[in-house]
Amino acid sequence: MSAMLRLENLSVSLTRGRGNVAILDELNLSVNRGEMLALVGESGSGKTIAALSVMRLLPKGAKISGHIWLEDDDLTLKDEAGMRKVRGRDVGMVFQNPLAALNPSRTVSLQIEEAWRIHNGGSQKVARGRALELLGEVGIPNPAGRLDDYPHQFSGGMRQRVMIAMSLACSPKLLIADEPTTGLDPLVARQIMALIARLRREHDMGVLFVTHDLSVVEEHADAIHVLYAGRSVEWGTARGFFGHPRHPYSEALLGSVARVGQARLQNIPGNLPEPESRPQGCRFAPRCDYRQPECEVLLPPPDTNGATAAACLFPLPVNARPDIFAMVEQGPSAFRKPQLEITHLVVNYASGGGLFSRAKPFKALNDITLSLGQGECLGVVGESGSGKSTFGRAVLQMIGYEGSISLDGKDFSKLGRPGRRVQRRRIQVVFQDPRESLNPRMRIKDIIAEPIRMIGAAGKAPVAQQVANLLGRVGLNPEIGELLPGDVSGGQAQRIAIARALAAEPEIIVLDEPTSALDVSTQAMLLNLLKDLAIEGGLSYILISHDFAVVSYMADRIVVLNAGRVVEVNDAGSIITAPQNDYTKALVDAAPQLRAPNREYPLPTQNVTGSAI
Amino acid sequence: MSDQLMTEAIAQPGMPSARMGRLFDWASDRSTLIIGLTLSALVLFLGFVAPFIYPVDPFAIHPNHALEGPSRMFPLGTDELGRDELALLLSGGLATLIVSLPSAVLAFVVGVAYGLASGLGPVWLDRLLMRLLDAVLALPSLIILLFFASLVSLTNTSLILLLGFIAWPSLARLVRNETMAQKGRDFVLATEQLGASRFYIARVHLLRVMAPILVVNGTFMVGDAIFALSALSFLGLGVQPPQVSWGSLLETGLDIIALDPWWMILPPGIVVFAALLAASLTGQGLLLRWGNRR
Amino acid sequence: MIGTRLGSSLLSIVILVTLVFFMVHLTPGGPAYSILGQKATAASVAEVNARLGLNVPIWQQYFVWWWHLLHGQLGYSYLISRPVGSLLWQYEVNTLVFYTVSIVVSTVLSVVLGLIQGVYYGRWPAKLIGAFQLGFYALPPFFVAAMLVLWFAVGLKILPANGIVDLREANPGIGSYAAHLVLPVTTVTLLTVCSLSRYFGEAVHEELGKDYVRTAAAKGVAFPTILVRHVMRNALRPLVTILGLSFPYIFTGGVIVESVFNYPGLGWLMWRSALSQDYPILIAIVLIIGILTVLGNLLADLVNGLLDPRASYE
Repeated sequence: MSAMLRLENLSVSLTRGRGNVAILDELNLSVNRGEMLALVGESGSGKTIAALSVMRLLPKGAKISGHIWLEDDDLTLKDEAGMRKVRGRDVGMVFQNPLAALNPSRTVSLQIEEAWRIHNGGSQKVARGRALELLGEVGIPNPAGRLDDYPHQFSGGMRQRVMIAMSLACSPKLLIADEPTTGLDPLVARQIMALIARLRREHDMGVLFVTHDLSVVEEHADAIHVLYAGRSVEWGTARGFFGHPRHPYSEALLGSVARVGQARLQNIPGNLPEPESRPQGCRFAPRCDYRQPECEVLLPPPDTNGATAAACLFPLPVNARPDIFAMVEQGPSAFRKPQLEITHLVVNYASGGGLFSRAKPFKALNDITLSLGQGECLGVVGESGSGKSTFGRAVLQMIGYEGSISLDGKDFSKLGRPGRRVQRRRIQVVFQDPRESLNPRMRIKDIIAEPIRMIGAAGKAPVAQQVANLLGRVGLNPEIGELLPGDVSGGQAQRIAIARALAAEPEIIVLDEPTSALDVSTQAMLLNLLKDLAIEGGLSYILISHDFAVVSYMADRIVVLNAGRVVEVNDAGSIITAPQNDYTKALVDAAPQLRAPNREYPLPTQNVTGSAI
Repeated sequence: MSDQLMTEAIAQPGMPSARMGRLFDWASDRSTLIIGLTLSALVLFLGFVAPFIYPVDPFAIHPNHALEGPSRMFPLGTDELGRDELALLLSGGLATLIVSLPSAVLAFVVGVAYGLASGLGPVWLDRLLMRLLDAVLALPSLIILLFFASLVSLTNTSLILLLGFIAWPSLARLVRNETMAQKGRDFVLATEQLGASRFYIARVHLLRVMAPILVVNGTFMVGDAIFALSALSFLGLGVQPPQVSWGSLLETGLDIIALDPWWMILPPGIVVFAALLAASLTGQGLLLRWGNRR
Repeated sequence: MIGTRLGSSLLSIVILVTLVFFMVHLTPGGPAYSILGQKATAASVAEVNARLGLNVPIWQQYFVWWWHLLHGQLGYSYLISRPVGSLLWQYEVNTLVFYTVSIVVSTVLSVVLGLIQGVYYGRWPAKLIGAFQLGFYALPPFFVAAMLVLWFAVGLKILPANGIVDLREANPGIGSYAAHLVLPVTTVTLLTVCSLSRYFGEAVHEELGKDYVRTAAAKGVAFPTILVRHVMRNALRPLVTILGLSFPYIFTGGVIVESVFNYPGLGWLMWRSALSQDYPILIAIVLIIGILTVLGNLLADLVNGLLDPRASYE
């Protein structure tokens, strides 16, 4: 297999403020023809910069050193005109967030035609034919009818297919994909991955797949390359990597992704260092559980005594931490006294929200009947449009609904306004976007003091004491109270949101995608915190998420929603091991699965048909 | 065309002044605000303090010194009746400001009240108020202002009412749109879940979040009011003789422009410019400072 | 969508007519005094009252007013012997010419300046343009106009200060018209370009930062092509919206600039009628200008809706 792309000692620096900052240091990797290499790292690791440097689409002032070989061509020697010939013709690129990456006021056909005509000239007719061909190849139904549609007329998954079609127009030798599945529903993401994998085989293309999420590439990657803070930490074949990760960071990464059936999530303490303040020696050492004094002094050379190369002075032996990959035995959940009873819940949307206007009203939720037990965590899973968020809002009494919702036997619709207010307080909420859920112009201590005062506490000192206690409970320093929400990180902001929810002394907390906006290791920390708080305070949770693995980590029972209806509801363990419904089965399969070390990871057992896009 | 654009377009969401901040970083945030505030202080001084310091009577006629350029006796020259231009300028300043500022306040209060009522009230009220507002906003305000001014007797009070009446609709729409946008935000929903009443939320949360944009637009409205009054006076339908204002002084100068009376044209023009610039810069400076926190 | 816009425009016109009507009637002494002047004798007032039908209850008068309007009679314009329609039209043409030229020149200049500002954002060309925009935005039009007259007409004596043609010429040619237009158009353009170019510049800058620009570059498209084919299309949209807002002014004009230059347009006529309290004409003009503004806005809205592929889905 010949190397399609070879990065040789690639270093990139950007201008930040006055001076230059090194973002990427001496990256060496190669992608072979017909092979998919996953370039993995957290945000800030330099992976996107590496991808952009191949295309030389870096911001002004960026300096590159080293070589970029595309087959036998050294791209670093080319001038701008030369690079323009490479872009789109020899190397295609697919970006994240296709809605923003496509021009909203030109038809998709025109945009695909442009990709063709820039390099191949020719008439518009020929180009349009090519566009039609490409749309069919990426699996868009009725391609002829869709040629003249605009990007906003496609759904998220379809848009990404259009982007892929565009990148393939000139049959490039190499495809670079920068987080193409971020933001897509899990089933759709899986389909896109399968599409890229298939195209890679059919066109004998090299694929450089950039991502922060290892679980996305598990099934299809041939090789893995892990970056941390601008340096390579581990690289090798995917089989070798997943079979036996040797670098502590890789192990931590694998351990922090929520997988179906996992016992405990691994949290990586600390944060990725800023490029300006990267430590001497091994860059991961400050956060590494296994560090030794030598690690902070020497830059570890790659150790190749295993299936993969690891830049570590003390690479991990096989089975170093079995407990990370331990699966949990999920038995049937204990009987719990029903706390919240939802009967025949229906929610109508009168006029269409969002981009697609509907001609007639539709039911966001259609005849839902469920109950939540005392101290239980009920997971609500579904894709976008399933109605899961609407369900949460109905329970919280934030929207109008038909049917009944009763808390401890008291039906909300039968209460008067003051009664409703009191009852609402017993159910609190944590939203998806922590920054939106906190008033940006209110100090954190005031944000938390607000509910404390509302339930009747008074006096400056006692309230301040309670605020400090709550902050401590969620693992924050009380001094953070003086700051504004904009001054803290996403993970900290979400903890503050949790503290505020707790301050009202609720019995139930509705968590609406609480970790979706955070990065993977922060996710782990928050989920562990929530679990501990539930046990401490006897709280019940309704956990809404599109991420099946996250839900399975937390929930006692899981309900699956699709298009406003309940598809299946059962104990978490039963849903995972024995899903009754095909849709449930597809969702479970699409979620990152647990793979015990030293075992061949299973090949895909079936084609996922998924729901209609 | 531009006169209309200025008076009407300024307070609308997304319109030039509201978005000016992003493009004006040829000065840093700080210096824009500092310059704006300094200029504002100067203008206020000029309008409210200086007239009482400068001892000359603006209406004293000196027929022997008519139409003279600046000299030691008359720092800014004289007009066609031999009156001291500087004194006239100061007196005009006071006259302009005591009408413009209150009218801006009036328009501000009415606009905010209307916008809040529409944004926070029941849906039918919002629809009704907005229909009315949209209909009113489609009308040419300067024309209507001029028309009304020609019908009524022009005292300070009537001018304040007129100017206030013209200016509030744009702000009302802005406030209503802002309120609608903010009241659906997650932190408002979270506070509702705590059991807070609508008044509490409006008072504690909404006003706090909307405060920056209210202050910024209020600042721009002051500039607009000064402009509108000067324009009216220039056209002869604002501050009436014997009282003078910056606009009327300009008009007097323009009348006899063939005689090249630059000292009668430049000073009032520059002062109006300074006042408008002060409002503009202060508003933008505030916008730049507060812009990120929303 | 069209339905609501039409309804809103209709409502605007209703409010306008009602406002005008009631303001006229609220003046001390009523419309008769306003028309005849304060020194009118009781007899002439009574006569006017009878002729105008002012002795009838006010609600009836209101409906009569509408009735007249629908028959093409604006306000009390039937009182005067002059044919109001053609009179207004003469002035209207002047205004049309003036403002059409101004808008065209302003737009072209704004697009050029805005492009430079957007592309060179943060560097000295953009900062220079930004300073100019900032400075001129705050300049009142009457001041700018007066200064221009002072420099060019009085000082340098190369351009005329007043009017539309040189009154001494028997058959003024295009040159005379053009010369008289220079200063007024310059005034309006200077002031409009500030906000228009800022809008456009900001739009260009914003679009340049969007993802689809990067995608186009990744396809191998050269920067100038990206600018013209991708960015302009999206950046022009807010500009079209603004132009749409200014569209009515082609018809209605701006009173201030016309008054400084004594340019005989519709705005100038309104000003003179207001000053001399010539109410029949004044009311007619206000109604005309108001209706034209509303219709102009409606037209602009409709065009805007057509241009945006997303808007038609709302």
